[in-house]
Amino acid sequence: MAAVVLAAALEGCAGPAGGAGQQGKTAAQEGAAAGAREDVTVVMGPSSEPEAGFDPAYGWGAGEHVHEPLIQSTLTVTTPDLNIGYDLATKMEVSEDGMAWTVAIRDDVFFTDGEKLTAKDVAFTYNMMRDTSLVHDFTMLEKAEAVDDFTVVFTMARPYSIWPYTMAVVGIVPEHGYGPDYGGHPVGSGRYVLKQWDKGQQVILEANPGYYGEKPKMKKVNILFMEEDGAFAAVRSGQVDLAYTAAPYAEEDIAGFELLAFESVDNRGFNLPAAPAGTAGEGGEFIGNDFTSDVRVRRAIHLAIDREAMIQHVLGGYGSPAYSVCDKMPWYNEAAEAPFDLEEAGRLLDEAGWLAGAGGIREKGGEKAAFSLLYPAGDSVRQALAADTANQLKKIGIDVKIEGVGWDTAYSRAQREPLMWGWGAHTPMELYNIYHTAPGKGYAKYSPYANPAVDRYMDDALACSDWEGSYELWKKAQWDGEEGITWQGDLPWIWLVNIDHLYWSRNGLKVAKQKLHPHGHGWSVVNNVDQWEWE
Amino acid sequence: MRIGRQRNRRFAALCLAVGAVAALALITVAGGLWGERALETDFSMKNLPPSFRYPFGTDWMGRDLFVRTVAGLSLSIRIGVLTAAASAAIAFVLGLTASLGKGADTVVSCLTDLVMGIPHMLLLILVSFAVGKGFWGVVAGISLTHWASLARLLRAEALQLKESQYVKVARKLGKSPVYVAVKHMTPHLIPQLLVGTVLLFPHAVLHEASITFLGFGLSPEQPAIGIILSEGMKYLVMGKWWLALFPGALLALAVILFQAIASAASSMVDPGQAHS
Repeated sequence: MAAVVLAAALEGCAGPAGGAGQQGKTAAQEGAAAGAREDVTVVMGPSSEPEAGFDPAYGWGAGEHVHEPLIQSTLTVTTPDLNIGYDLATKMEVSEDGMAWTVAIRDDVFFTDGEKLTAKDVAFTYNMMRDTSLVHDFTMLEKAEAVDDFTVVFTMARPYSIWPYTMAVVGIVPEHGYGPDYGGHPVGSGRYVLKQWDKGQQVILEANPGYYGEKPKMKKVNILFMEEDGAFAAVRSGQVDLAYTAAPYAEEDIAGFELLAFESVDNRGFNLPAAPAGTAGEGGEFIGNDFTSDVRVRRAIHLAIDREAMIQHVLGGYGSPAYSVCDKMPWYNEAAEAPFDLEEAGRLLDEAGWLAGAGGIREKGGEKAAFSLLYPAGDSVRQALAADTANQLKKIGIDVKIEGVGWDTAYSRAQREPLMWGWGAHTPMELYNIYHTAPGKGYAKYSPYANPAVDRYMDDALACSDWEGSYELWKKAQWDGEEGITWQGDLPWIWLVNIDHLYWSRNGLKVAKQKLHPHGHGWSVVNNVDQWEWE
Repeated sequence: MRIGRQRNRRFAALCLAVGAVAALALITVAGGLWGERALETDFSMKNLPPSFRYPFGTDWMGRDLFVRTVAGLSLSIRIGVLTAAASAAIAFVLGLTASLGKGADTVVSCLTDLVMGIPHMLLLILVSFAVGKGFWGVVAGISLTHWASLARLLRAEALQLKESQYVKVARKLGKSPVYVAVKHMTPHLIPQLLVGTVLLFPHAVLHEASITFLGFGLSPEQPAIGIILSEGMKYLVMGKWWLALFPGALLALAVILFQAIASAASSMVDPGQAHS
């Protein structure tokens, strides 16, 4: 029994694409598991509740925090090693110039209202997303067309080699059943159907009896939305089976529960404006920062941070050092990894003219080596990371003041001052969003920086006709031996840690193997809830 | 015999008031000097229970909670003094204005009713948000919401004075309403104003704590008593009682001291209580 469970768990998210070989095993498991519970109650943070409901056009799945949409099917899926697998798709081809994607889909899929899912629904979904989605970028898509019942062709406005990663998060909605109230009453073809949604409290999902793939083992999934302390109290009183938690709570012991820590690319880091103060921004405002515009200063900051100590201090050990926005992804360039070297950091600051001054703070021409590090007020982890960064940089003579800010002013202030950010997604587009010059502008969107060589690699990567081949170009955009955004290069951002996502889990609950979690401590954990089981 | 006992009571009240003022002044000065220390973090010393070295324990970033609490109270008291003074000034001006004529009185009454009609906390949040949050946001928010009840009191007093013989005589002699208000009414309103101002302190301090607790006031690294309490509350569920108990107790103590000063002041300056 244990071996069977393990095998199923290891297969993880490959589920829907699996063939007939899995059918027999499923039956065997159903027999073995008879009498065990088939429902699970999961707690997420209140911000995980989808405000506009379960409509992909309003960010369900394909939003700021990407995850599998559960209620709807997607064309592709991301595999546990974050390559691409198939869900609805059976075949996928891209033209030589990267301007057309042809996707063949399964012919045995029905929506939960009984209608057949055809290429028309797929085309409708994508055209609708292109026109209405405010939370996901679809500017690269010109149109989607159904050439026959089970083949859809995407005509691109520009080459976009990582299109399969977009296809992995867009839930397919039915053309006949889509309307303004879809978010509250979604009809899909995915593993689960929405049974009940009490806004502000809970969501109840039930297994879709007509699902075309492997039958979900968890027949019923209750999702509750609670604050951290409420979730902790609910676990202690044994009312829930799995609940998210944070490092400060992890030291506690709760009888009947174990602590699960899942690795993530949910990283934290801060930007260092790479343009001198007084640079003119797009809206005529001034951007840039004199202190951080010197690359030697940025390198010194990078080398002076002891990431392991930071993980112990702030995350109670539940994290891993981050050197890029995409650590451990197939497109990550290991050159980003840097030693912790205070001596070299000090040498770089000396070289840049920042010499030891009064009170241990370096000075240059009467000016102090100092900057403000902003963090979003209300995010205690980022506040602590900012405080620890300040403590560590004091050792090399840089005076850092931390300041909590609201998101209403954070974006514009980050053009002049470092801000503690959180990123991490299952797509190389993250690199583009952060480092590529914003379309039609002089600098990257979130922090002043521009390098034509880096831009070119990313443009080439998107124009590549083979997305796996494009990984090499994404790596070169980070560091090609001469230029790039790693510490040997321009280094406009400093990455600190990847935060492990922590959960309390009731003993006996077998949570299937998780993909590296992206940014957002929410729906990712239930990506494969259909494969969880009780023992 | 009776006179002797009364003197004693006034003397005791004076002593109490002086003691309370001294204690609050000490907190204010000490907290002001510890401004930098209250921000210092030491992650190797986090979540320590109270000890000799850290009388109030340390918090989740290893900050000395005693230093932080005193600095927070100091901030509260400074905000309290500033806002109580500002509120009192607004109340005084409006109270006198009411005595100038029927129209002025209507305007003042309406304004007072308007501000009193809106829940305190709501108006406070709105004003401090509109002014741009931060220290001055909190100060403006509290100043602009706390004058109403004192203004109403002073207005009633002023209207009563308006009917008195000497004010009527002054008017008949051709003195302008403004002259009468400043020369003849103000001396009678001063005792009310003084006691009212001191009574505003605890109100202002508690509201400063509330608004920073809700996160609408200062940036979270700042040592404000409300921020300390709201952080401490998150850790109560984990049994770290000292994070909320000591700062809360010290806040309560400060408020009680203000109350003591107010009652001492009123027993000394209020003629109505002079014979009690």
